[in-house]
Amino acid sequence: MAGTILENMSTKKLVIVGVTLLLFQAIAFMVGGLIAPSPTIAVHYLASKCVDMVKHRQGAKWFMPWGPNQCDKIRTFDEAMAKKIEANNIVFAVHMPMPNKEMSPWFQYMRVILQFDIAFKVYNQTEDEVMVYFDAGLAYRDDKVSEWTEMARSVEKRKLNCNFIAAKTVENEGRYYECDLLPFMEVGSVAHKYYLLNIRLPVNERKKINVGIGEIKDIRLVGIHQNQGFTKIWLSMKTILTPSILIIMIWYWRRITLMSRPPVLLEKVILALGLSMTFINIPVEWLSFCLNWTWMPLFGEIRMSIFYSTLLSFWIIFCGEHLVDQTERNRFSVYWKQVGSIVFVSLCYFLLNMYKRGVQHTNPFYSIWVSDEGTKLSVAFIIVAGTCACLYFFYLCYMVFRVICNISGRMSPLDMSKANPHTHHEGPVFRIRFLMLATLICAAMTVIFFIVSQVYESQLYWSNHWLQVNTAFFTGIYGMWNLYVFAIMFLYAPLHHNTDQKERVASGF
Amino acid sequence: MPTVSAVNLTAPLLLLLLWATHPTMATNWLSLARLPRSRPVSGAAPCARLRGLTPGQVGVCRARGEVMESVRKAAEMVIEECQHQFRNRRWNCSTTPRGINVFGRVMNQGTREAAFVHALSSAAVAVAVTRACTRGELERCGCDRKVRGISPEGFQWSGCSDNLSYGVAFSQTFVDEPERAKGLSAGRPLMNLHNNEAGRKAILHNMQVECKCHGVSGSCELRTCWKVMPPFRRVGVVLKERFDGATEVRLTRIGSRTALLPRDPQVKPPAARDLLYLAPSPDFCHLDPDNGIPGTAGRRCNGTSRLAPDGCELVCCGPGYRAGRAEVVQRCSCKFSWCCSVRCQQCKNTVTIHTCRV
Repeated sequence: MAGTILENMSTKKLVIVGVTLLLFQAIAFMVGGLIAPSPTIAVHYLASKCVDMVKHRQGAKWFMPWGPNQCDKIRTFDEAMAKKIEANNIVFAVHMPMPNKEMSPWFQYMRVILQFDIAFKVYNQTEDEVMVYFDAGLAYRDDKVSEWTEMARSVEKRKLNCNFIAAKTVENEGRYYECDLLPFMEVGSVAHKYYLLNIRLPVNERKKINVGIGEIKDIRLVGIHQNQGFTKIWLSMKTILTPSILIIMIWYWRRITLMSRPPVLLEKVILALGLSMTFINIPVEWLSFCLNWTWMPLFGEIRMSIFYSTLLSFWIIFCGEHLVDQTERNRFSVYWKQVGSIVFVSLCYFLLNMYKRGVQHTNPFYSIWVSDEGTKLSVAFIIVAGTCACLYFFYLCYMVFRVICNISGRMSPLDMSKANPHTHHEGPVFRIRFLMLATLICAAMTVIFFIVSQVYESQLYWSNHWLQVNTAFFTGIYGMWNLYVFAIMFLYAPLHHNTDQKERVASGF
Repeated sequence: MPTVSAVNLTAPLLLLLLWATHPTMATNWLSLARLPRSRPVSGAAPCARLRGLTPGQVGVCRARGEVMESVRKAAEMVIEECQHQFRNRRWNCSTTPRGINVFGRVMNQGTREAAFVHALSSAAVAVAVTRACTRGELERCGCDRKVRGISPEGFQWSGCSDNLSYGVAFSQTFVDEPERAKGLSAGRPLMNLHNNEAGRKAILHNMQVECKCHGVSGSCELRTCWKVMPPFRRVGVVLKERFDGATEVRLTRIGSRTALLPRDPQVKPPAARDLLYLAPSPDFCHLDPDNGIPGTAGRRCNGTSRLAPDGCELVCCGPGYRAGRAEVVQRCSCKFSWCCSVRCQQCKNTVTIHTCRV
């Protein structure tokens, strides 16, 4: 690669550029920490126990837990015995959101988690490895008076994993089991204002359905969605970053095309990096307010995986291009093994996600962790991805080591004198060192902030303000990688020997 | 002579009146559990007719009528949980057959048992109101106060799930009201206030945190955590432990204020979560109708194992116990479902029943 802007910059200019980038980075962290709320919020719902005395109901009836048309409810199951109500007559009803509140498309998604409150009874214990079958229905409406429209209905099963910490004696009857959280439902977009969930636990003793699950006292649901404040700040960031990265990309590509020589492989890869970053930045989520696209989360994950693949390939190709050895470089086919494996892992990830979310698009109650095949597939993928990540990391370290040895060994006094004394930089070594430094800083900051956001409470109180650590992590790291791509495209753009040389002469070196 | 006897009589009568009406008013609201389920407890007219409420509590009933159904539920929870926790002790939280004083005159003195009942009742109100909020049965819950953050939009901007704060605040308003009305310089109101707060603290200190990772392909970069309220049985267990470790205090004057300090100066001052009592508990063995003690005569006990908590040696007092045989019809070979229907057969059994002697 010929000279880049980076090598032609005086230390003073480089420091100015560095400080400007740091300033923007600090702004990204502050916006997340001080203005935006926490990324997600969990809302508790306790299901109301409605009674449906009609056997063999034709058509769907939707049971509302509160409000003007509420269903006939029972408070506790002890009342059911007196009124001769059976387990198959009970419908658990949950209305999302709470009274006097509305759901909004700003919430972006809804993930619901189910928790059973099961009481210990000596003669009705929860068996190990028992499956719970439920018949769940989801309906929506956009005002408080119209009829409910069905959105999804499915019969699903989940594995119940409960254990009882005290002794299993009559003394401890009435205490609750400790049960794992069960994934219940995932909806990729929130297009309506009011949602209603009706859950039944049908009992069929002949087929052993819902037999041996213990004595259920209550069903709790936890609805997780993204905060409107976080979505607004996030989309604003994307809207500001998209033209910034686009402008620098167009400027970069103009410089390349204006050169007399054809573009090198490394320059093409940098452009690909810019393109993938722009792909992430484009705020397609604004369309989710007029269109009901439930595959938005899948789209977001695809964009992220494309960016990661491009970034990892960029590092490999950068190291390879600076390795001056016998093989002829500057061709993509030299790197087919490394890039191929990165693309292979990304493709596996993409296919797995397509499968999981594709099914959830039609059936929000589907969970990949229920069936054995699905669990094995997910676990296998995680193992493969982890192994590939380790292999990639070691390979990259090895390449970097080779490049540094190679380049330092080949530096001769002749090369030193050719370097521009005005700028004190030694060509390729400085380029590599600078990129390494920048990458290490970014990666280290990502890891450190990830650990900080996991360890600390999501909110810290500091000098009269609430600091949202989790949100600061998201906005800060997103801004950081954008600034990284921006800096690479700016600093690694090629020198124009005609114009820049004239500048050097004019500045009087 | 008649004037002297008249004077001699009025003073004790006045004291008796004061003593009978004064201390027991605080837990009279528990009589809501005795009302039939069909009778409404909210609305202006029904509120005034509820006999167990103090005037201040009637005001709360009128202002926040929809919450009173949860208060009734809380009263039922208190009786059930108290009787479960004390089932193996000499005083087993027995209720009077009728009247607004549910646990009887034994609540008149500031004993450990009274401390437990006060703590349990304030915790029950907090739990019942929180549950009603979580079911969506109450219109106004924890999302009306200004949420932390820039925007006042509340629920949509940054969410709120503050139902427990609403439940605790309502418990403070409703259950603490009779004590505050009496003023904070007497011993019993101070003790009741402290024990009410100890009950609420028992909930707050036993919250569990659950988290769910739902980032990219289930990773933990995006993790949502929430706090789960403990089941009421757990609160009862915790308060029973505090009952066993309760501190005896007395009213002392410090400067211009009065406070409750330990009677034994070597005991460290009690924390906010400990239970306090003013008077030592009586011996619950013998029948004492004036003090509302039913005694242990006729109580069932477990004669088989000597060291079990419900064993006859521990439950019965001096006269001991006697065994008798009875034929009972019990349910056997029951088929259970996850709720509701239980299909059993009837079996006849001859069992040995042990009861305490008079």
